[in-house]
Amino acid sequence: MKFLRRWKIQILLIFAVVGPGFITANVDNDANGILQYSQAGAQFGYMLLWTMIPTTIALIVVQEMCARMGAVTGKGLSDLIREEYGLRITFFMMIGILLTNFGNVVGEFVGIVGSMGLFGVSKYISVPICAVIVWLIAVKGQYKSVEKVFLLASFFYVTYIFAGALARPAWIAAMKATIKPPHMEAFGQSAYLYTVIGVVGTTIAPWMQFYLQSSIVEKGVTRRQYAASRLDVIVGCIFTDVVAWFIIVACAATLYLHGIRDIRDAADAAQALGPLAGQWASLLFALGLFNASLFAASILPLSTAYTVCEGLGFESGVERKFSEAPVFYWLYTALIVAGGAVVLIPGLPLIKIALLSQVVNGAVLPFVLIFMLLLINKKELMGEFVNKLTFNIIAWATTVIMIVLTALYVYGLVHGGAG
Amino acid sequence: MSTLALSELLGTTVYDSTGAASGRVREVALSPQEDRSKIAVLIVKTSSGNRFLPLSAVSAIDEGVRSSTAAGDWLQANGGEGLLLLSRDLLDQQVIDVHGRKVVRVNDVDFYRDTVLGRPTLKVEGVDVGARGAVRRLLKGVVPAPALRVLLQRLPQREIPWDFVDLIETDPARRVKLKISHERLAKLHPADIADIVEDLAPDEREAVFETLDEGVAADAMEELEPKVQKAVVESLDSDRAADIVEEMEPDAAADLLADLTEEHTAEILVQMQPEERQEVADLLEFKENTAAGRMTTEYIALPVASATNDAVEALRGFEGRMETMSTIFLIDSHGTLAGAVPLAKIVLALAATPLLALTQEPLISCHEDAHEKEFAELFDKYNLLTLPVIDEHNRLMGVITPDDVINMLRAKL
Repeated sequence: MKFLRRWKIQILLIFAVVGPGFITANVDNDANGILQYSQAGAQFGYMLLWTMIPTTIALIVVQEMCARMGAVTGKGLSDLIREEYGLRITFFMMIGILLTNFGNVVGEFVGIVGSMGLFGVSKYISVPICAVIVWLIAVKGQYKSVEKVFLLASFFYVTYIFAGALARPAWIAAMKATIKPPHMEAFGQSAYLYTVIGVVGTTIAPWMQFYLQSSIVEKGVTRRQYAASRLDVIVGCIFTDVVAWFIIVACAATLYLHGIRDIRDAADAAQALGPLAGQWASLLFALGLFNASLFAASILPLSTAYTVCEGLGFESGVERKFSEAPVFYWLYTALIVAGGAVVLIPGLPLIKIALLSQVVNGAVLPFVLIFMLLLINKKELMGEFVNKLTFNIIAWATTVIMIVLTALYVYGLVHGGAG
Repeated sequence: MSTLALSELLGTTVYDSTGAASGRVREVALSPQEDRSKIAVLIVKTSSGNRFLPLSAVSAIDEGVRSSTAAGDWLQANGGEGLLLLSRDLLDQQVIDVHGRKVVRVNDVDFYRDTVLGRPTLKVEGVDVGARGAVRRLLKGVVPAPALRVLLQRLPQREIPWDFVDLIETDPARRVKLKISHERLAKLHPADIADIVEDLAPDEREAVFETLDEGVAADAMEELEPKVQKAVVESLDSDRAADIVEEMEPDAAADLLADLTEEHTAEILVQMQPEERQEVADLLEFKENTAAGRMTTEYIALPVASATNDAVEALRGFEGRMETMSTIFLIDSHGTLAGAVPLAKIVLALAATPLLALTQEPLISCHEDAHEKEFAELFDKYNLLTLPVIDEHNRLMGVITPDDVINMLRAKL
């Protein structure tokens, strides 16, 4: 009995802190992420599955540091950067975050248009309705209820696991490919190398670190509950990459097998799945895409408004009234309206915006990661919670690899690449 | 007299008595022990390390800072204890705007520049929290100074006068040296203090609660969200926590302690005064969602035979909350509840009227085991200001006031 009760308390404790880590990791599988994984599966079958394990580790290492900083200092990442490195650096970083996040918001609306299009809904209906929903969720909801909605949205990603299973993949081959990278020859192919870089390079985005740390602070997680928060992060990252694995597998077992290699957007993949894996798989894939796009579209503008206002010292927070935090609300509203408008107004250069957003993403990321590592090693901030030596080695190695891959990815994009 | 901003002063070239450019301004410091607003010393970065340049040795501040002493005479800038370093301690940090009752981030610091007996003096005028300070710092060195000045004139100024700024310092030793107390913060309404504290990071909350007077700290503690309340108490040492909990209303104190671990609750209770400890410990026995768990045990109860003048006497000597003063209860020799007299009736009655003649009919009360929903309904139905809580022998055990009901209802919203 006693044993049982202890377990019950443990589980309750985990539920009290679960959320921020799980949510943040899942938003990583947004419309852009799904496209990336679908292309990887369609073009190279199971050959990219091995990237999932290192990607998961990198994601955990980076996210864990943010969660730790949030729990120990009780301050957001942009607050800390501002306090330790001054206004100018913070300002430029915030401009970068604003640009790259705007590009991402546009990407999410493209995902909404694509997935709703599969259900025959015109974009002139889906985009305005979704924009209003997104706006209301944050402005009218309270943190607790909003978090519940987001958690629910995270669990909805299981649709991809079902879609993957419906695609009847060769499980054994897929498992093997997850553990063992392909022969070196594969890496000689520039298209393959480029896809590897794309999959790994888009794993860690600057906004995630800011969002996660602020959520941990807003949730009131302290050093005492930190262990549970770390578990939240780890579980979230693993779940996220399991979902990613199934997306790749679903596309590999169908599209790749039947020679459909050319996936332009994520909705293409959903449509192509229909005749090959059945209507259910296609439907689940499309629903998953819609969920992911709407989910990320709800979080990105909010996270951006929080980050920028915190860093630059404007009042922020959904618990404040419009008149108390005007910059916060205007920024938030503008991101949603402009993001939706870009998709609706014909003739606007969507691809260029996406490209610019990825380039800025790549330019901002090194700074964010390096600042994070510098901050988390400051004894006066973190006390006994500074990085241990081994962890530091892993973290710096991850950071360097991520920076190099992101730089290569951006270089490829700018020079027309092999995408 | 004119104004000067900290960001304009930082990095300015410093010329010593020979006229040689000897270094640049690295830091500007106050010595709060001597003067809360007058700049005491500049720290100059020279080729031989950081040096102190007392403002009394500065002969002019124009395009550069001119000293009347030779660079060789400037003391090594080590230690600097007891100095408030404006760039490090203020720029980009959060401070409390006592007047606006919120936490703000400092963009720049503004000085009054004056000349006394031919020597320049600088006094902190306030902290800039608006666009002007931010733009000045962003564009400094990028846009030519005269153009920047014209641009800045057009921007609205948002400055908090220095007298309304409360600093937050988490190091207790430094807090004493810099004479950081929260006198001005303490004058705010406890609910405002609580709102401000909720906006701070955990270490900063702890710092504020360590510095505030116990009575103020207790009032503010009562107004904090339960989650924050718990975190703050956990961060304080049990001695200090006991001092604050002691000053809280017993019912609020019991609610707070009920959320802590048993060991921690015991630690705090042991450090409290026996009388308060007993009251809180008794309340802790009750379930939180019953009348007994919500009631306070501080109220005014008089013998049945008392008259209005006795009531006035009792009111004068009462130290509990204002809310509980709105009703005077009558009890017999066994402690049985016999009547309730509203304060308003006592005020309107002639002197020496027997209280029994003024009681409110019917006498509404509830049992200590009553569920919170039950007593909330009583409040609503009879528009009560207070509700006496009784045990199975009709003895008066405590009183519930509307704020208890509102707290409970808001927690469910």
